[in-house]
Amino acid sequence: MTDFAISAQHLARSFGETRALVDVSLDIPAGSVCALLGRNGAGKTTTVRILTTLLDPDGGHAQVAGFDIASQADRVRERIGVTGQTATMDELLTGHENLEIIGRFSHLGAAVSRQRADELLEQFDLVDAGTMLVKKYSGGMRRRLDLAASLIANPEVLFLDEPTTGLDPVARSEMWAAIRNLVARGTTVLLTTQYLDEADQLADTIVVVDRGLVVAEGTPEQLKASIGRPSVVVTLVDADQAALEKVRAALGTDAVIRGRSVSAPAADGLETLAAVVTRLEELGVPVHEVGLEHPSLDEVFSTVTHRLGDHSPDAPAAVPA
Amino acid sequence: MSAVALPRQSSVQRGLVDAYNATRRYLIRGKRQPDIIFGSVLFPVIFVVLFGYVFGSSISVPGGNYHSYLMSGLFAQSTLFASSQVAVAVATDMNEGVIDRFKTLPIARSSILIGRSVSTIVLGLPALGVMILCALAVGWRPENGIFDAILGFLLIELFAFALSWLGILAGLIAKSSQAADVISSIPVFLLGFVSNVFVDTSKMPVWLRDFADWNPVSAVVAAGRNLFGNTIGPPPSGVWSLEHPEITTIGLALIIIVVFIPICVRRYSRTSR
Repeated sequence: MTDFAISAQHLARSFGETRALVDVSLDIPAGSVCALLGRNGAGKTTTVRILTTLLDPDGGHAQVAGFDIASQADRVRERIGVTGQTATMDELLTGHENLEIIGRFSHLGAAVSRQRADELLEQFDLVDAGTMLVKKYSGGMRRRLDLAASLIANPEVLFLDEPTTGLDPVARSEMWAAIRNLVARGTTVLLTTQYLDEADQLADTIVVVDRGLVVAEGTPEQLKASIGRPSVVVTLVDADQAALEKVRAALGTDAVIRGRSVSAPAADGLETLAAVVTRLEELGVPVHEVGLEHPSLDEVFSTVTHRLGDHSPDAPAAVPA
Repeated sequence: MSAVALPRQSSVQRGLVDAYNATRRYLIRGKRQPDIIFGSVLFPVIFVVLFGYVFGSSISVPGGNYHSYLMSGLFAQSTLFASSQVAVAVATDMNEGVIDRFKTLPIARSSILIGRSVSTIVLGLPALGVMILCALAVGWRPENGIFDAILGFLLIELFAFALSWLGILAGLIAKSSQAADVISSIPVFLLGFVSNVFVDTSKMPVWLRDFADWNPVSAVVAAGRNLFGNTIGPPPSGVWSLEHPEITTIGLALIIIVVFIPICVRRYSRTSR
């Protein structure tokens, strides 16, 4: 057994002329949550399909839960749960029947499968819907049932492929709560998402993929720090040009005016902030608000993916506004 | 968190359990689609009436009753239509996410397909029952007794099981359910109609007659007629498959089963799609 629940080395996969995956390596420690972040077509789903034994890679190899995905596929399948991007529940079966069949296929036996189905319906707030045909379910209910199904056999590693895509905000936050709940129990989770806030909310580590390559990885904080330092932002009471110019001059040569705010890089973080506050007091300009702003993951994302997309490493990194 | 302890079973035992569970799933689904069962029951009724009375009034078979002659043909032909339906159903299945989920579960690769095949036979039984009742109503009788008749139906069902695997393969190859319908309908119509199902082949033009005589469906029909006691006249001379239709049917079914089940399972489990 390795210490990693998922370990992939140089996965590659092409579909005809299209290189869906060029080179993706991952090491995900047991019990952690990793978000694979990328746009549509970045290679997220292909990675998940390979790691869940649905697709053979053209190159590279991987171990999931300590077993090789190619030579020990059945061992892997006994230890994973998968929730796909598309609804993978049977419309003509009830929620309970769907869960039971997955339990039976996981070799839990009929009695245990039914018992697990009951437990999971309760856990995911689907008790009333348990006897209803899935075709009558709402989008959010389907996703929750799908997630419940992937937990039937208490998997060591859970794959969630865009678990909240297409859900309304309420259903989405319900899904987030359900996922957090699982993580608290120690399940290793690999989730894919196009939403930065989702990655930021749920993941311990984020791997940004673009055009089949890993373009950045780290904790959400590391990623934010990697593309720039925080900036100090001074917002005035009104857009008085004279006052704004005065503040800009006080904040140094890199300061820029945006609307009724002036922002400048805060090289020393809080110390810079304190210094700015002192200078503002000396200036006597009416100030509405002063604060530090950290770069958002949005900026990290657009920076790392644009850099690669433009093939110009010198493309200007997003300036923290 | 540890995985739920799995009872240790041999892989054969597990495979059988998986196949049973898959069959059970298809049977539940079948029960939820009464319109499809209704259609499959109605179809043969229409056929018995349509061919029995519309054609039957102008087709005569020397020294026999056309209704009795026709029934074995219709029983055999219904297995062809069923295999075409399997092709469409499998193609539909493969485009649904649920099959992807099954592929991530530790089940025997063959189980889903076996479930599809076995459930097709089981869900087809009501239609067969209704067809037998219709046949009895229009005057068909198993002249050789009940035992031979049962043997005849077993033979036809064996052929149906074998054919369902050809349907499954067509469904796996087809990109869509529409494509599966087209791919499977052409052989079904060729084999189903250029045969001895409706008429005696002896009056066909030579090239067509050769095809009809050697058509495996003709052998199945002839085997049914022999066992039901509805055979009229001797088989065309020199056509081995019609001279020994029972052996031909069993042999052909076994060959299809042995050759095509592994091909279907390989095609299904091919991960690189």
